[in-house]
Amino acid sequence: MTTKTVTVRVQRFNPEVDKKPHLQSFQVEMTPETTLLDALEGIKATQDGTLTFRRSCRHAICGSCAMNVNGRNTLVCNQPLSRHLDRHDRVTIRPLPFLPIIKDLVVDRSNFWEQYRRVKPWLIPPDELPETEFRVSPEEVAAINDAEQCIMCGACYSSCQVVALNKTYIGPHALLKAFLRVMDPRDSAVAERLADVAGTDGVYRCHTIFNCIDACPKGLDPTRAIETLRQMAQKRAHYEAERRERQKRLAEPTAPVAAPEAVTE
Amino acid sequence: MYKSTGFISFFLRRLTGVALVLYLFMHMWVIGSSLGGPASFDQRLAMVQGPVFTLLEVLLLAAVIYHAIDGLRLLIVHYFKVTEYRKSLFYAVLATTVLIFIAGAIPMLVFFFESL
Repeated sequence: MTTKTVTVRVQRFNPEVDKKPHLQSFQVEMTPETTLLDALEGIKATQDGTLTFRRSCRHAICGSCAMNVNGRNTLVCNQPLSRHLDRHDRVTIRPLPFLPIIKDLVVDRSNFWEQYRRVKPWLIPPDELPETEFRVSPEEVAAINDAEQCIMCGACYSSCQVVALNKTYIGPHALLKAFLRVMDPRDSAVAERLADVAGTDGVYRCHTIFNCIDACPKGLDPTRAIETLRQMAQKRAHYEAERRERQKRLAEPTAPVAAPEAVTE
Repeated sequence: MYKSTGFISFFLRRLTGVALVLYLFMHMWVIGSSLGGPASFDQRLAMVQGPVFTLLEVLLLAAVIYHAIDGLRLLIVHYFKVTEYRKSLFYAVLATTVLIFIAGAIPMLVFFFESL
């Protein structure tokens, strides 16, 4: 297996000692399979045990390890180190920008979660629940545009220029979640949600800078969700009435279900 | 700062927007201060036809064109689902701005240099 030595520059900050963050270089042995997280784990295990970072699942689903790599927000667990090397075989890892640093690569995400709670990210079910199950059509699922795949890593939130300038802005992550609930036929608080996101800190605060799309490690599109909410917020009553009408048929099949083809061997 | 084409477009939009507001005050001052009769009008006219104001005027043209075309881009983004073309749209705005700016700036500068 081919190995080579590369330089990993990591932003260090110990609040008890340092006045401001600084970069520290480490020499790391890598193979083509080494991920950025492997490199950080290697540094922590063999070179400097005080290096601090968050990580958990290593499968790009927990959202713990979002960091800023060469100026771009990404997850470090699913990114090969080789893909991020510059021509001097060097990579620079910093914590997520615009958030208070706790230590090294760990940032304070309190504001992120506060804004998340603010949009009531849970489902508000209709008063009358179907006896068996909700039936949602494939078109309705497609309209959600994969928004349910968000892993709450904070990459979009911390890339947003509006967040950088205004900490009361709800943020792309929470607006995407609001979009998910507004588009969900099972949710019964459409007008209330649209009124909430149309406030001064909501969808009209977005400057369509698109950093959230560029940053999302799951390839989601918060900007399109925000644009959709903007248009829907102008016709709150219409969408509320539409949802009430839709919820009368929640237990019914949305389309005839084709019988599965017989398996012949 | 998170560097991206989106950030550049946002920065230019803010810059040109603030510049246009400041221009408005300057415009009101020039017009207001030229209303004291034919002599003051001629004096003011001579000033705004000088090299400094001509340069500012050319910059104003660039700011107005960028801000207007960028506004059209934002309308397209707001009303059509085109977020995947965000970078192409930004470059299209830049190209259109440069083309219209050149077309507008040439006659302004030709007029200025002919009047020297």
